[in-house]
Amino acid sequence: MSHSSASRIQEFIGDPVSDSPPVKREQLEEIFQDIQGDLRFDHELNGCLNCGICTATCPAAHYYDFSPREIVQLLWTENLEGIYDAMQEKIWSCAQCYTCAARCPFGNSPGGLVMLMRETAIKHGMESAKAVLRPFSRVMLKLISTGNQLSPDMINPEGFADWGPNISKVDAPLELLRKAIPMPTLHTTKTAWEVNLKTSVELYTIWEETGVLDSLETIDENLFDVILDIMDEKRDDYEDWMDEQD
Amino acid sequence: MAGNGGEKFTGHGSEWVDANLSKQDAHTATVWVDQIVNKRSMLTNKDRVEDVRDVMWELEKDGEILVHRVTDEHEPVTVKTLYGWDKKIPTTQLWHHKSCGQCGNIPGYPASLLWLMNKMDVKYLDETDQTSCTAWNYHGSGIGNIESLAAVFLRNFHQAYVSAKAQGLPDGYFYPLVHCGTSFGNYKEVRGYLLHSAKLRDRVKTILGKLGRLVDGKLLIPEEVVHYSEWVHVMRNRIKEHQVIDCSNIRATVHPACHVYKMVPEDAIYDDDILEGNRVAVTTGILETLGTQVIDYSTWYDCCGFGFRHIISEREFTRSFAIDRKLRVAQEEARADMMVGHDTGCITTLDKNQWIGAAVGKPVELPVLADIQFAALVCGAHPYKIVQSHWHASPTEQLMDKLGIDWQAKKAEFELYLKDVEAGRGETLYDPRLMITSGPGFKAVESKPND
Repeated sequence: MSHSSASRIQEFIGDPVSDSPPVKREQLEEIFQDIQGDLRFDHELNGCLNCGICTATCPAAHYYDFSPREIVQLLWTENLEGIYDAMQEKIWSCAQCYTCAARCPFGNSPGGLVMLMRETAIKHGMESAKAVLRPFSRVMLKLISTGNQLSPDMINPEGFADWGPNISKVDAPLELLRKAIPMPTLHTTKTAWEVNLKTSVELYTIWEETGVLDSLETIDENLFDVILDIMDEKRDDYEDWMDEQD
Repeated sequence: MAGNGGEKFTGHGSEWVDANLSKQDAHTATVWVDQIVNKRSMLTNKDRVEDVRDVMWELEKDGEILVHRVTDEHEPVTVKTLYGWDKKIPTTQLWHHKSCGQCGNIPGYPASLLWLMNKMDVKYLDETDQTSCTAWNYHGSGIGNIESLAAVFLRNFHQAYVSAKAQGLPDGYFYPLVHCGTSFGNYKEVRGYLLHSAKLRDRVKTILGKLGRLVDGKLLIPEEVVHYSEWVHVMRNRIKEHQVIDCSNIRATVHPACHVYKMVPEDAIYDDDILEGNRVAVTTGILETLGTQVIDYSTWYDCCGFGFRHIISEREFTRSFAIDRKLRVAQEEARADMMVGHDTGCITTLDKNQWIGAAVGKPVELPVLADIQFAALVCGAHPYKIVQSHWHASPTEQLMDKLGIDWQAKKAEFELYLKDVEAGRGETLYDPRLMITSGPGFKAVESKPND
C-alpha cells in the first residue's frame, strides 16, 4: 500500500477537504453502529479520562503503533474517521491479553472493544481483515470443520521452522507417538482429540444459526466453499449412521 | 513522521511536543501507571462489581434457567476469590473439558492431570463428545460472535451434565473441569453476558433447543466455571502426599496466565498464605507446597506474547515478547531453573520460542512446563510415557538432571515401549470404551468410570 502521494487519512477515508470522500459518512456511521449495537459495547466502554494505564501495560504497545487508550478514546468520542482508520491495521495488533481490562479504573475493556471492531471489519468485508486473516485460514478451516483449532499434524518443521529442530525429541512417526499418549481420545493426528461425528454436526448447526458461516463467506469465499463441502460430507455420514439405527 | 509530509496520526493533537526526557526521568514520570497487575491494583473496582452468581440464582428462582450445581458428591473445597467471595471447587466426578492446544501440542499436560487423578482415586470422564471452546480462533481472527461463543459454551456444558447417562448414572453426576485458560476466561465472560442479557438467552435458547440441549426447556448454566489449576490448588496437599522426588533445589518462576486472572478477575483465587494474598494463588500454591523455591521477576504480570493470531501469522512479535519480556528476565533476574504456567497458549509460546533466540544473539534455555506436569514429575510420573516431555522444545532435560531423574534411561524405556504401542499393547489411563457416550461407536458400559 503506497503512502507516497497521500496521507493515511486521505488514502483510507478520503481527503477531508474533498466533496466526495471515498468512504461515505453513511458507511462510517453504519460501521460505528455495528460496533455500538453489540450488546457488549455498553459493558465494555464506561468512560475514559485518558489516564493511559491501559497502554502502559499493553504488550502490543511495546512493538506496534497501537494504543488501547486511543481505541477507547476513538469509540468514546465517536470519532468515525479515526475508528475506520484504526480498523485498517491497528486493531489487529492487539494480543488479546486483557491486561488493559484488568487495570482500567473505569472498568473498560479495550481488548473486548477491539474484538467488536474486528468482528465488524469482517462483517464489512474490509480488505484489511482479508489480508490479515489470509495466513490464519488453515486454523479457521480446522476449527470450523472439526471443532478443534489445533491438530498434531499442523505442528511440523516446515510450518514452524523458527521453533527449531525439537518438534519432538523422540524420532518416531507422528501416528505412533500419538498412540503412545495414554489418553485414548488423543490417538489422532488430524484433530487434537477424536471428535464424535454427532458433535461435529451439532457444531455446524451453531455456525449456521449464529451467522459465523456468513462471516467466513465474506472474508474468504474459497475457504467457505471448502468448509461447506466438508460439512455436507459429515452430515451425510451422520444421516447414514442414523438410517442404520432404524 | 517520515514519508507522510510531517503529518502525524498518533492520537496526539498538533500541539504535542516531545518532552525529550532521559530514560530515567521518563521511568520516574510514568512508573505510577507501569504497575503490576496485583490484587491491590484490581481492588479499585470492588464496589462497582457485582457477583453474577446472584443474578444466576434469581434467574433460576424465576424459572428462566437451571443451574448445574456443585453438590456434596463432587466433594467441593471452598476458596476465596479476589474480593473475598467464596468459590466452590469440585474435586471428584469431573468431566474433562479438554484444550485443543494442549491435546494437539502438549499432550503431557492433560495426561499428567489424569495420571494424578488416578493416583488419588478421583472419578472422571474423558470423552469424544466435546468441541473446543472456539475462543482461540475468535480472539485471533474475529470469526465468531457472542452468540456462537455462548452456544458452544452451553452445548459443551450440557454434554457434561448428561454424559454420565451412558453409564447409567444420573444427570449432573459429572461436573465440567476446564483445562484451557482461554476457555476458562471466555466461558466466564460469556456466562456473565448470558445472565445479564435476556435477548442473548432467547437467541441462544432457540439454537440449543434445535440441538436438544435444553433441560426441562431451560438453558443450563454452571454454578461455577472451574479451571484445572483451581483443582490442583485445592488438591495441593493431597498431591504432596504422593511426592517422591525432592525439588527444594529448584528455582521456579511462575507465569500467571492472562485469561485465568485478568479476564473476569473477580473470580480468580487469592490466598492470604500465598504471596501474602497479593497475587493469583494457583500454580504458586502447588509449587510452594511441593517445596520449590518460587522466585520473583519483574515482568511476572506480562503476557507471554501468544497473541492468538500472532503465534500463527505474526511470530516476530510473539517470539520477541516471549524472549525479551519473559524468558530472559526469568533467566537473568531470577536465575530460574524453570518457568511454570497454567495455560495452553503460554506454555506453547514460552516453550517453543527459545531456539530462535540464538539466531539474534539472545540465547535462552529455560525449561517450560505446566504446573500439573511438574507435579506429576515429582510424584514419580514417567517423564516420557506420562509427562510426554519429548514434545517440549525447551531443555526439560536440564530440569530432570537437577531433579536427579535419569532421563536418558527413561527415554530409552519409552523408545522400547513404542514397540509395544506399535503391537497394540499401549497403556491407557482409563477404559477406552468409556470415551464414546453416544452416537457412532457408542456401546454401553455398565461399570462406573475409573472402576
